[in-house]
Amino acid sequence: MKALLRGAWLVAAKDLRIELRTKEVTMTTSFFAVIVVLLSSLAFYLDRNVAAQVAPGVLWVSVAFAGLTSVLRSWGREREEDALRGLLLSPIPRASIFFGKLLGNLLFLFAVEIVVVALVALFFHLEPEPLLPTIALLLLGSFGFVAAGTLFGALSVQSRARDLVMSIVVFPLVTPALLGGVVATRELFAGATLPEVVAWIQILGAFDLVFVGAGYLLFDALLSD
Amino acid sequence: MVAFDRVRAAGLVKLYGRTRALAGVSLELHAGEVTVIEGPNGSGKSTLLQILALTAKPTDGTLTFGELDARRHASTLRRHLGVVAHASMLYPDLTGRENVRLYAALFGLERPGARAAELFERFAIGSFGDRPVRTYSRGQLQRVSLARALVADPTLLLLDEPSTGLDVAGVARLEEVVHAERARGAIVVLVTHDGGLAARVASRRVALQGGRLVPAPEGPPYRTDLEARSPDGHPPEATERSAASAEESR
Repeated sequence: MKALLRGAWLVAAKDLRIELRTKEVTMTTSFFAVIVVLLSSLAFYLDRNVAAQVAPGVLWVSVAFAGLTSVLRSWGREREEDALRGLLLSPIPRASIFFGKLLGNLLFLFAVEIVVVALVALFFHLEPEPLLPTIALLLLGSFGFVAAGTLFGALSVQSRARDLVMSIVVFPLVTPALLGGVVATRELFAGATLPEVVAWIQILGAFDLVFVGAGYLLFDALLSD
Repeated sequence: MVAFDRVRAAGLVKLYGRTRALAGVSLELHAGEVTVIEGPNGSGKSTLLQILALTAKPTDGTLTFGELDARRHASTLRRHLGVVAHASMLYPDLTGRENVRLYAALFGLERPGARAAELFERFAIGSFGDRPVRTYSRGQLQRVSLARALVADPTLLLLDEPSTGLDVAGVARLEEVVHAERARGAIVVLVTHDGGLAARVASRRVALQGGRLVPAPEGPPYRTDLEARSPDGHPPEATERSAASAEESR
């Protein structure tokens, strides 16, 4: 377990160091998410009631697409100079690579989510009360779909059909998490309390466990020739 | 410290779908030897190297490092492997020093920074080592790549077409490394199309053809008929000699 965590930290720290230097992933995905929020607010904002119904979709769509774009770019770095092969040649457990990439991708996405939540709240004139539980939901949901994206995004390093991997494999897989997230957020914006959306939270939690477990168990097999 | 003194491959088969990349390769590699693997493109050389590097699993056959079975002890054995290929396996946005330090840490070395400094001195990696790898020339990339591969003093050093795109000084440096590693007692395997390099460093030469080991040809290293003929129709030895004398006259 110690070797697993140490390896994961080394991989994540490497990704963070690169990102702090280039700001490539966070800048591009934040820009993309801001554009989605801005255009959606212009297109769909009629009044506060409509905004409360539309905002959850806008929030989750922008976060989901930004998250998966970020995952793809993060794996793209491993493709340059065949760097992933270097990691695979090292003696760290293969699952360390999965958890390290997952941690890095999550941190990138959390940075984007801060911007997105603030902008959605601003442009859709949301009440501040449901924002805190919404952030908790976002974090929970992000964990699952970033885990799925990280797991199958690894295939994109070795596959020439890397864009198809995302659209055919990952998006259908993360749809349940997105549905759960959107519905629970809509309930919160409509005045529900956190205990009232506990069923959706449980679904998101189960989704997280499934994909983190799958990453731990399948990552080696996915990367084997 | 040498962790094993021989690697034994027996009946290695590798299938990619219906394509048979290796068709029963048996081979024994010994400490202090440089084995050069020759053969035309598509003969299975790189596949064999990937299996030896434990980044690909054979469809059939066994691979043992000393007494350890590669399938069961892959993680332990990876500590004792070093690989240099045409691609550097370095992160372009990190500096050379950060890359080597990262690999030293991944290999569990206690003082990664000190190890990186040692290797930088050995390979005369000067101030460019603190620039992002993206800015390196091919020769600089090779030096840092060698430092990365040797970070944990590998028992088995695998070199896959390492001289591609290198100038004369780069090839000479590579040659020095191969000799030094052999003298240290490492098992060195070199896949190359560079006949001159192969002839200078090989303790033993084997050839692959159609995924099978065949006797290595005597004389100049293995070439296909097309590769054996220079554009002006001269035999390969004559072409190599004239290339060497051209280099010397420069």
